Amino acid sequence: MIIFWRNGLAAVANILTLAVTGSGDRPATRESSGDMTTIRRFCCNDLLRFASVNLDHLTETFNMSFYMTYLARWPDYFHVAEAPGNHIMGYIMGKVEGQGESWHGHVTAVTVAPEYRRQRLAKKLMNLLENISDKIDKAYFVDLFVRASNTPAIKMYEKLGYVIYRRVLRYYSGEEDGLDMRKALSRDVEKKSINPLKHPVTPDELEYD
Amino acid sequence: MASKFVLAGGIPERRVRPIWDAIDSRQFKNALKQATTLLSKYPNSPYALALKAHVLERMGKSDEALSICLNAKELLYKNDSLLMDDLTLSTLQIVFQRLDHLDLATACYEHACGKFPNNLDLMMGLFNCHVREYSFVKQQQTAIKMYKLVGEERFLLWAVCSIQLQVLCGNGGEKLLLLAEGLLKKHVASHSLHEPEALIVYISILEQQAKYNDALEILCGKLGSLLMIEVDKLKIQGRLLARVGDYAAAADIYQKIIELCPDDWEAFLYFLGCLLEDDSSWCDEAITDLVHPPKFVKCKFSHLTDEAFDSGISKATNFVRKLQADTTDNSIRGPYLANLEIERRKKLFGKNNEDDLVDALLLYYSRFGHLACFTSDIDSFLQVLSSDKKRDFLEKLIKSSSPLSSQPTKELGQSITIFKIQELIGNVYTFSAKELEDCAIQAAELYCRNLPLSKDLDPQESMHGEELLSIVGNVLVQLFWRTRDLGYFIEAVMVLEFGLTIRRYVWQYKILLLHLYSHFGALPLAYEWYKSLDVKNILLETVSHHILPQMLVSPLWEDLDNLLKDYLKFMDDHFRESADLTFLAYRHRNYSKVIEFVQFKEQLQHSDQYLMARVETPILRLKQNADNIEEEEHILESLKCGIHFVELSNEIGSKPLTFNQDFQSRPWWTPTSEKNYLLGPFEGISYYPRESRIKDKEANVRRATERKSLLPRMIYLSIQSASTSVKGNIKANGSISDPQISSELKSLLDCYAKMLGFSLSDAIDAVTGVSSGVMSSEAFHSDAVDWLNFAVFLNAWNLNSHELVQQDGGHSGFRSWHMVNSLLEKYILAKVRSMEPLIRSPQCVLPILVQLVTEPLSWHCLIIQSCVRSSLPSGKKKKKSGHADNSMSSLSHAVRDAIQSSCCIIEEVAKWLRDQINQPEDKNVECILSSLWPTGQEEGPGKVFKILETLISSVDETELGDRISQALRSWSHVDVARKIVNGQHTVLSEFLRICESKFKSLESLKQQIAQV
Repeated sequence: MIIFWRNGLAAVANILTLAVTGSGDRPATRESSGDMTTIRRFCCNDLLRFASVNLDHLTETFNMSFYMTYLARWPDYFHVAEAPGNHIMGYIMGKVEGQGESWHGHVTAVTVAPEYRRQRLAKKLMNLLENISDKIDKAYFVDLFVRASNTPAIKMYEKLGYVIYRRVLRYYSGEEDGLDMRKALSRDVEKKSINPLKHPVTPDELEYD
Repeated sequence: MASKFVLAGGIPERRVRPIWDAIDSRQFKNALKQATTLLSKYPNSPYALALKAHVLERMGKSDEALSICLNAKELLYKNDSLLMDDLTLSTLQIVFQRLDHLDLATACYEHACGKFPNNLDLMMGLFNCHVREYSFVKQQQTAIKMYKLVGEERFLLWAVCSIQLQVLCGNGGEKLLLLAEGLLKKHVASHSLHEPEALIVYISILEQQAKYNDALEILCGKLGSLLMIEVDKLKIQGRLLARVGDYAAAADIYQKIIELCPDDWEAFLYFLGCLLEDDSSWCDEAITDLVHPPKFVKCKFSHLTDEAFDSGISKATNFVRKLQADTTDNSIRGPYLANLEIERRKKLFGKNNEDDLVDALLLYYSRFGHLACFTSDIDSFLQVLSSDKKRDFLEKLIKSSSPLSSQPTKELGQSITIFKIQELIGNVYTFSAKELEDCAIQAAELYCRNLPLSKDLDPQESMHGEELLSIVGNVLVQLFWRTRDLGYFIEAVMVLEFGLTIRRYVWQYKILLLHLYSHFGALPLAYEWYKSLDVKNILLETVSHHILPQMLVSPLWEDLDNLLKDYLKFMDDHFRESADLTFLAYRHRNYSKVIEFVQFKEQLQHSDQYLMARVETPILRLKQNADNIEEEEHILESLKCGIHFVELSNEIGSKPLTFNQDFQSRPWWTPTSEKNYLLGPFEGISYYPRESRIKDKEANVRRATERKSLLPRMIYLSIQSASTSVKGNIKANGSISDPQISSELKSLLDCYAKMLGFSLSDAIDAVTGVSSGVMSSEAFHSDAVDWLNFAVFLNAWNLNSHELVQQDGGHSGFRSWHMVNSLLEKYILAKVRSMEPLIRSPQCVLPILVQLVTEPLSWHCLIIQSCVRSSLPSGKKKKKSGHADNSMSSLSHAVRDAIQSSCCIIEEVAKWLRDQINQPEDKNVECILSSLWPTGQEEGPGKVFKILETLISSVDETELGDRISQALRSWSHVDVARKIVNGQHTVLSEFLRICESKFKSLESLKQQIAQV
């Protein structure tokens, strides 16, 4: 099951200019529960090794500047999991952006190769990104977009603590609706960021693409 | 960008903005109108000029754009009082870059920086220009200037990165690193460091100089707190300690990492390495190929005593035990795999522990045997066992598998694993045909039986047991290889098509099918499945190898053209934008990515596939237009008469090549595009582990592209040579004189012969020997196409130089014509006559035949065209002397013969093609289907197919659910057979079209020459 991908063509142009720097004072460990597989920063050569992951019909292969912009700007939000024998198991890419209380982590894509599915790897990757957003960048929440029809993915995100914050009309290539799902982080004590909106929005109303 | 426009290059923003808006919305005509008006108001504004040039360039008017840019540049240089703003310069830069004149943009910025030495914006612009040009030294100098100007950490790091790039990607000596270190040290002393990435660069500079202790000191000091992620810091610390040789301390650090992340496999390998004082994992030579890293770590033990080894191993064992006890999460594989790695090392050290390793594998199976990744997890451990022990393991596995699980999905997973282990240990090829068949039947039955498990799955999700059909397909291909019974081959196709009917997203089936179809001469079907994989962007580099090599030797020129265009566009686009992305990394202070991006660009630039595509693209165009010499000459002209391809060919030998293809997904019978086991006789091949054939491949690629890149120039020279041979001493196009043509062509023939492994004179002997029947045609081995090319160009050279004749001392001046005619006849007609109908013989000789007709025969026809054209009377020609008339008449005689001979060849090929094409479709369909049901035979193909048919005839909707039931009902094996027939038909028709066009062109030549 591929979990999520998005319509990323327009995204490059809309990325805000915000440098990623650590602001916390205590070192953070990468995970909370202690169950990690070999996960490391994604690097360019992984682009040449992820074919078996990306041949999956739901995993979008973006253009090079898209990947490399993420690598150049948010290298801590782009991780790959490797199995013994140096097989790529899956990866997550994301970013951190926004201002004030909408300063948040964003999951752009998370995907797992067929032979490594049903092992909770997506969860591990998501936890990693949430941790970095929470502990290092002190973001208020993490969000992601998912096709409204992708029930298995929506269910999984709900299990991971995400709620449907709002519906975005015709988000995917002007055809299918997207769901904007969010999970509050520790900095958002009152969990204000995830109060669901009553009405759907259109893509041009989105603050961040 | 609005804020930039307040006063844009001295022009009010409100005047400029509409032009940019129009450009952004691609209304170039409108933009041009406005830019022209603006320019009339500000005729001396470089910015207004730059804007107009920008619009013109976007409209495709490159020459005009360049000349306006040069005006603007001149104005900037001339007028001291003019404003040198970054906006003007960056606009000029954009246009210059798009016009491939990076140097001019750099010159503008250099000039501006010279005038305003303290302007940081301009200096950043200049730095960016140097980044674009990959001039690392100048980058460094500019960054240092900026650093001196404002003292900011980031500029120092820009300089340090530029130094590192000189060492890693340029030709800077390692001494430069000392300079970088000095700069950093000084800065740290006065300002400390504030960016985690800066620290990482600092440490890497020290590591590159093997100053591990210094690096450790810095990491463990105050600066270390910059690294926010504890595990990252520990990993660097562990690595540095190991490199220093303090293995005990390093092992402690890795132990800490594993306690934090018990599933971190890499950390465990390092931990074990430290306990055994083995630095293989960290050595520079440990991983040379980052794209195809080895499956398992190398180990060395020679330095260890028995005691030291035992002590290290026992420490590791105790730790792993504790880890297993502490881990509550059952899905964590790491601690259990660790056991296997410990046993593997023991085995490699020479302990007699094969049984222990087998036990550990069985234990691992009992926990994780149901996982799809089980087989690849244990791959490297299995490899150290002897063949007997491997079989022993398999037997035990089969015995232990049945009572293990009560969950049906787990049970299914375990059963699949057993099939995969059979493949992995190469057991399958020792099977008899009967056993293989049973294996396929079992797997197919298992698949059918378990279909209900997937009843409620979303159609997007992969189904349970999907791998089984790939396994069945592989076994059936193995059976085909053994028995040469086409039925098995068709059965494999049917099984996979069946799988795709049930769920159309399974890319593994698609890849297997595309290779089966390619092998069966139904390339359009292969291409269809390939297209359905939606291969784009970087996948073009890693996945195209599945289809590209077959397409290169096919008559499907339009599809090939698209493939090559898309691929080259992707690569060239990346090379164009890569430097800007590198600058982005600089700006965002992710310095390690700067180095990575530049190295990655090189990795792609040296790609063997990129090289091949650049050479094959012009050759395709030459093939496509070979029937019209004027068109061909246009193309050659646009290729600068092939000169730089010759240069390319000379460089290939010394060029570093990279292989970025993902070969893992290829089927066992064709592990690389060069190898296809099915073409040869059956041999005991174990398809796991995949042989690493990169080295072989490298030699092949070099050889093939070296030869190919000589073709455009040789074709060009041959046309010239043929033409001058007719015209006598009149210079061809006034550009090259005859002796030059002859001598250059001779030296290229000499090169070409060398590439074939011969000296020129030996190669000449070989082609004349084979053509006259003195030598067997086997002499050319698999290089027939290249040899015939050689013979064709040899003839062209001889037309002008007549050297062959002199060597022979023979009478006829035109023996070389005869030699080529007879070689082409021999080869092509022999192929045609030996060909069986496509429908009954997978991978017949069609690709070779296509190559022979579209390459040597085509080039030969071009030479004929050149001769005929030059022989035609034209008003300007002077009346020839008597001697010239004689030689003219014997030449036209020879040309006539050559035309006649080529016509006969083409006619025979075309006749064969028509015979194939005219077979009734239904008869061909019947032929395919009947191979699945050999009449009156117990043995043979069709048994798996029957299982699938039975499933369809007894669909139980409540058991299988709507979706699967419907899919099953829509399945039609007749449709598949028809698809194959039509696919082959398309290939044959395309080839026939090519032949007919050649035939037509030859016929018209015949008429023309008759008038001479």
